Amino acid sequence: MVNRGLAARFTAAAEAAGAEVISVARQKDAYVTVARLLDREKAKKVAASASVRESGCAGRLLFSNPGNPLEFAQARVALVRADYGAAETGTLVRLDSDDDERMLWTLPATCIALLDGERVVPGVDSLAAVISGHLERRKPPASQVSLITGPSRTADIECALTIGVQGPARLIILLIDEPEA
Amino acid sequence: MKAQLLDPALKAVLQAFHESWAEKRADCFRGLDFEALRETLAGVKDRAVAGQEGLLARFEDEAARRGSRVLRASDGDEANRLVLEILKTHGARTVVKSKSMVSEETGLNAYLAGKGVDAKETDLGEWIVQTARQAPTHMVLPAIHLSRGDVAEILGGHLGRPVADDIPSLVRTARDEIRKDILAAGAGLTGANALVAENGAVMLVTNEGNGRLVSSVPPVHIVLASLEKVLPGVADALSLLKLLTRNATGQRITSYVSFIAGPQRAAQYVILLDNHRRELGADPVFRDVLRCVKCSACLNVCPVYQVVGGRRFSHVYMGGIGSLLTAWIHGLEKSRDLASLCLGCHRCETVCATKIPIAGLVTALKGRLAEKSGEKLWKRIALDAVIGRPAVQRAAFGAARAARPVVRRKGYARPLPLWMKRYDRFRALPAPAPKPLSRLIVKAAPDRKAGPGQGKGRVTLFAGCLVEHVYPEVGLAAARVLAGLGYEVVPGPPGCCGFPAWNAGHAASARRAFRHVFRKIEAEGPVITLCPTCTTMLARAGPDLLLAEGQAAPPGRKRGRDGVPDARGFAARVIAFSVFLARNEREGLQRLLARGAPGPPVTYHDSCHHQHVLEAAEDSRVLLRLALGREVVEMTGPASCCGFAGTFSVEHPEVGEALLADKLAAVDAAGAELVALDCPGCLLQIRGGLARRGRSTRVKHLAEVLDERLRRPSPPRR
Repeated sequence: MVNRGLAARFTAAAEAAGAEVISVARQKDAYVTVARLLDREKAKKVAASASVRESGCAGRLLFSNPGNPLEFAQARVALVRADYGAAETGTLVRLDSDDDERMLWTLPATCIALLDGERVVPGVDSLAAVISGHLERRKPPASQVSLITGPSRTADIECALTIGVQGPARLIILLIDEPEA
Repeated sequence: MKAQLLDPALKAVLQAFHESWAEKRADCFRGLDFEALRETLAGVKDRAVAGQEGLLARFEDEAARRGSRVLRASDGDEANRLVLEILKTHGARTVVKSKSMVSEETGLNAYLAGKGVDAKETDLGEWIVQTARQAPTHMVLPAIHLSRGDVAEILGGHLGRPVADDIPSLVRTARDEIRKDILAAGAGLTGANALVAENGAVMLVTNEGNGRLVSSVPPVHIVLASLEKVLPGVADALSLLKLLTRNATGQRITSYVSFIAGPQRAAQYVILLDNHRRELGADPVFRDVLRCVKCSACLNVCPVYQVVGGRRFSHVYMGGIGSLLTAWIHGLEKSRDLASLCLGCHRCETVCATKIPIAGLVTALKGRLAEKSGEKLWKRIALDAVIGRPAVQRAAFGAARAARPVVRRKGYARPLPLWMKRYDRFRALPAPAPKPLSRLIVKAAPDRKAGPGQGKGRVTLFAGCLVEHVYPEVGLAAARVLAGLGYEVVPGPPGCCGFPAWNAGHAASARRAFRHVFRKIEAEGPVITLCPTCTTMLARAGPDLLLAEGQAAPPGRKRGRDGVPDARGFAARVIAFSVFLARNEREGLQRLLARGAPGPPVTYHDSCHHQHVLEAAEDSRVLLRLALGREVVEMTGPASCCGFAGTFSVEHPEVGEALLADKLAAVDAAGAELVALDCPGCLLQIRGGLARRGRSTRVKHLAEVLDERLRRPSPPRR
């Protein structure tokens, strides 16, 4: 069950941090929205993580298959799935599983992130055990936990805020009511 | 050593940044208890420093389990060599870096350049100053001193083609260049905001995303971190995160926070740097410095930083905390200039994420510096020979008073000779008063007409040097106010409390001066002070000095008035004039203040120690509201330092002058006919500055304002 209060707070905080938040009722609606967004971005293909590609709802999306950092950098749109959302700060939490995942979140200019509404928690503090657990559970090689709030930003030149520096210039969060099967 | 000041354009940029930072910071602490949060974090950091070796061992094990190689570097040179070796092992000719203060501390970039390796910054601000071959001027905004035009020129020179100077396209252009560097680099080097012992992870925060790229795109990831970054677990790292981002940039969280555990691609190395951290952690006085989380909030509120900027006020680390880190990491002598630039205003302490007593520690550092190389002659004479010895001080002022015939009208001294011009060019120096307070005041008896509550007992009035010798009218006003409320006022001894010597690090003279005063004060009752630095000395620093000495007292010595037990009791009796009245006599004052027209518009200047150490800003405003029947007209930046700061305005007259100029501009803009304040030093500085500029705005101590209002004739009864 999605906690409406938390979802609303998450949306407000994420938007304040510069993300675009779109509410979506069901998982397969999410992919329809993604297709619409790709049209808007004038991109034919989307670079997506393995779990997203293999999900039954991926429908008619066309996936590109970047293999190295340069190719990831050339991809215009990435599609990823967040594990948790933190309402207080509008933060997405990903318990990374591999390299490629990380590149997807960071290199392409637009990042579309799927988030199940029922996985929104009050704040990052409440995830300490989850983060620890993930870092514990993984055998070598590497693991990482990423907390992502809004698109990348800087105020280094004349203290003027500019959105879109090294990480994505746009972060679009699809907040989904129906939990993933 | 003369301090260069910031040019006006850059000063304006910094000021705008500080104001916006302060607003954002206040906003993101709303609903949170900052004091409780930083108390908690201070405890976390202290325990981590105490248990450092165990935590580092745990970190090493966990990191190794994940395939990281953890290396130890005892000093900066060793760290640099290790980095070079790693790069050679992996055939990396370029290394990209995300911001690392530790790498600046070791001089890594210059070292690698000397060995034919290109180290490229990726943080936008750092990349710009690196490309321009300049030094950064702020820890969080390294390129804050450059305009968009400057940046366009720098980029244009780098690319060999003209570049448009609108900020979005500058950012895009720089980003493309930086991205090329990252994609081509053989290795990436980051710092660490925390090292998490329980799982060998590194916590890294950025807004740009370059930390993530630098740690995951190149095949080799090198982490360079100093020992005190280690924390027990993820929960501790998150509590650091909560304060760090709010204090550093006024954000609830940065765009990116990564917990990185183990190699992201081919290999990961973690270099743990000591570079005197262990030594610092073992020092009982200075160990609190290791709590520093490099948020730079202290810098954003430092009056001196705002006037001289980061290049002047740094070695590698900036500001008052910078002087402390420099003393340990780079050597005592290198910290001398930085320590002397510290005003001792304590404003940094009000925002520090881990409650480091920065100003107090800088005073202790000044003591070490003075011990090591001796102090300047004029300081030794002024602080040790004159102020530290009451008889000499009296004689010196006596001589000055005898020379009054050469004084100009209106109580100001003649301008100083040309070779000393720098000391009085920005304010008129007062001449000593014809008679010192101790000759004018005998005992002030309680006013029999005071009504109920008369005979409230004795209070000692401790005037301090400036009131005693230059502004006795302030002491007389205070005595009248207290007598009018029913107190019997006993004048305190006329010596110096010892603060100027203590603040300059001359502990022996300070202790001597304090002990002299302490012995002569009455045994009981409140000790009411008229100067916030006297209050600080009598209530805190002085007793601490005696207590420290008491512990080393020779056996068999009688534990008399200056022995350990009494110092604490004495300290508890010391209270500032305004605080005493606001806490005890609101009703009494209300009764005595005749109902009549409200007073004139008055603005109030918050003296540094009164606000930041005694936390009495509200007490003074309460009294003024009572006395005037109206709210104080607030000036902008009421708590901005007036620039006097005792010997500081003599050692760094340009900085004192710049601070005074800002203060006088604020006074003008407030449009009030009177400035009230609680510190005779500020009174000297501001009144002198206004006189020098021919302004008619009056400046009065709060005691005088209250006295004037109480002595107005009552309105006729209806």
